[in-house]
Amino acid sequence: MDNGFIEDGFIINLSNASSAAEVIYELSSILEMPEAQGKKICLKLEKIDLTQSQLLSIKALIESMDSTLEFVDTKSDATKEVAQALEITISELKNEMEIPQIQPSEEELQQFTAKPDLFDENVNDFAFQELAQEEGLMKPDDMKPYATMDEDETPDLDLEDDDEDVEKLPTLYVNQTLRSGQTVSSEGNIVIIGDANPGSEIIARGDVTVWGVLGGIAHAGSKGNVNACIRALKMNAIQLRIANLYARRVNTENIPFVQKSSSFIPEEARVDGKSIVIKTTYESKEK
Amino acid sequence: MTGRVLVITSGKGGVGKTTTTANIGTALAKAGNKVVLIDTDLGLRNLDLLLGLENRIVYTIVDVVEERCKLKQALVKDKKNPNLCLFAAAQTRDKTAITGEQLKSICEELKEENDFIIIDCPAGIEQGFENATAGASEAIVVATPEMSAVRDADRIIGLLEAKEHIEKYNLLLNRVRPNLIKTNDMMSVEDVVEILSCELIGIIPEDTGIITSTNKGEPIVNDEKSLAGQAYHNVAKRIMGQEVEFLDIDEPQDFISKVKAFFLNLFKKEA
Repeated sequence: MDNGFIEDGFIINLSNASSAAEVIYELSSILEMPEAQGKKICLKLEKIDLTQSQLLSIKALIESMDSTLEFVDTKSDATKEVAQALEITISELKNEMEIPQIQPSEEELQQFTAKPDLFDENVNDFAFQELAQEEGLMKPDDMKPYATMDEDETPDLDLEDDDEDVEKLPTLYVNQTLRSGQTVSSEGNIVIIGDANPGSEIIARGDVTVWGVLGGIAHAGSKGNVNACIRALKMNAIQLRIANLYARRVNTENIPFVQKSSSFIPEEARVDGKSIVIKTTYESKEK
Repeated sequence: MTGRVLVITSGKGGVGKTTTTANIGTALAKAGNKVVLIDTDLGLRNLDLLLGLENRIVYTIVDVVEERCKLKQALVKDKKNPNLCLFAAAQTRDKTAITGEQLKSICEELKEENDFIIIDCPAGIEQGFENATAGASEAIVVATPEMSAVRDADRIIGLLEAKEHIEKYNLLLNRVRPNLIKTNDMMSVEDVVEILSCELIGIIPEDTGIITSTNKGEPIVNDEKSLAGQAYHNVAKRIMGQEVEFLDIDEPQDFISKVKAFFLNLFKKEA
């Protein structure tokens, strides 16, 4: 709604209305709001032709809400005439209002750049975590999005070493979104074209690649191949498993919130020593 | 040690079985008991989310039943309370993956080392319900003060009575809104108890904090200030055999409902 500014009141823009009935309908819904009551009102009506009785009933409607109809802004001659007869001022509103330029002070500017806007959709998890750490909400340990699970938490899968070159394994393409409860498993590599939602499972002897958000559980190198890896456009898996290693997402709290809103950063999870390490695909290619 | 096995059930969905399981379990563990929570809602598990343990689940109840792991391996320890364990349901299977007998033997085994085994029952009266109740000797029937939930609770109580191994059952009234009861817009606690003729074990007020607690994966009993949290603590105490008075759950009224209540009372007196 393009509301301008008048002292002790406001402008109601009904220039899209095509009939008197529509004007009254729209107006009554606006006037119901408590902040619209007891104010001076300017109606912006464009080309609509109103008769005297119609304008009278509009005036009565506004007055029933303790407000007064002060101005009418219209391009229709018929409406102008009627308004004059009822002694309502006809105003010509400027279409564009001047917006004053406010220059933030040096101090404000610094503050603004120092703290990322938490409500910005594009802010990534790290910015949030840094801020949370500054304010004492998070320990430095929580900074890493994934943590290797303790030995007593995870089973010893006792897998034999599987040295098969993953590039030589067959690849299964799945062209759909995996929903909660769905499982895909393969003796080769798996590529999901779509998201893998929380509650889904992907188990592959070779690599797992998700062309979308990985939110469920992924197990690469399920026969014990430590060279297998998990890739996703957005790595948000609740658990990652490579060969017999396990990693869990540290912060379970924000899973539902970060899943779609933050931007895609393609990442790759690989085994490094005794733990699973996640790098952006650029970083891992450089190596 | 022989623990008690309780099943939390309701018939109707969405009345708060899982929330109740998570909170009573946490409250009992906080009071020093060894507690295992079993999620029997195979294929639609939620209890892990409410406890914030989703990322730690490796083995589920189906893995135990199909002998892919030992029972102890499938118990997920709580983040804060080492007395509390979760036994998760499989998300990729359905209710037919386990039988009542299998769950019963799991309960027998868990009983030996725990004070309480609390089973979260799925909605409905089919296989899932049969599985969940098979190993239990006590039941808590969760209902909200709505006609549909009370009807379903009545049906469930009938089914529970027919099971010889269920020694006792109690009613837990969830999502109670005192303001609506005052204006006669909601069935009162007394009404529900009268319809179901069942002993009450707790009255939980409606609390918006439940929504945030579910999102955070942090049971509301960990929030000292929450009224619903206190109510759940009291339920836990009653389960342990203490006598606790029911909480005063009156909430401050807004003006309109006050006026409405005033007139309603006036009419009642005249009638």
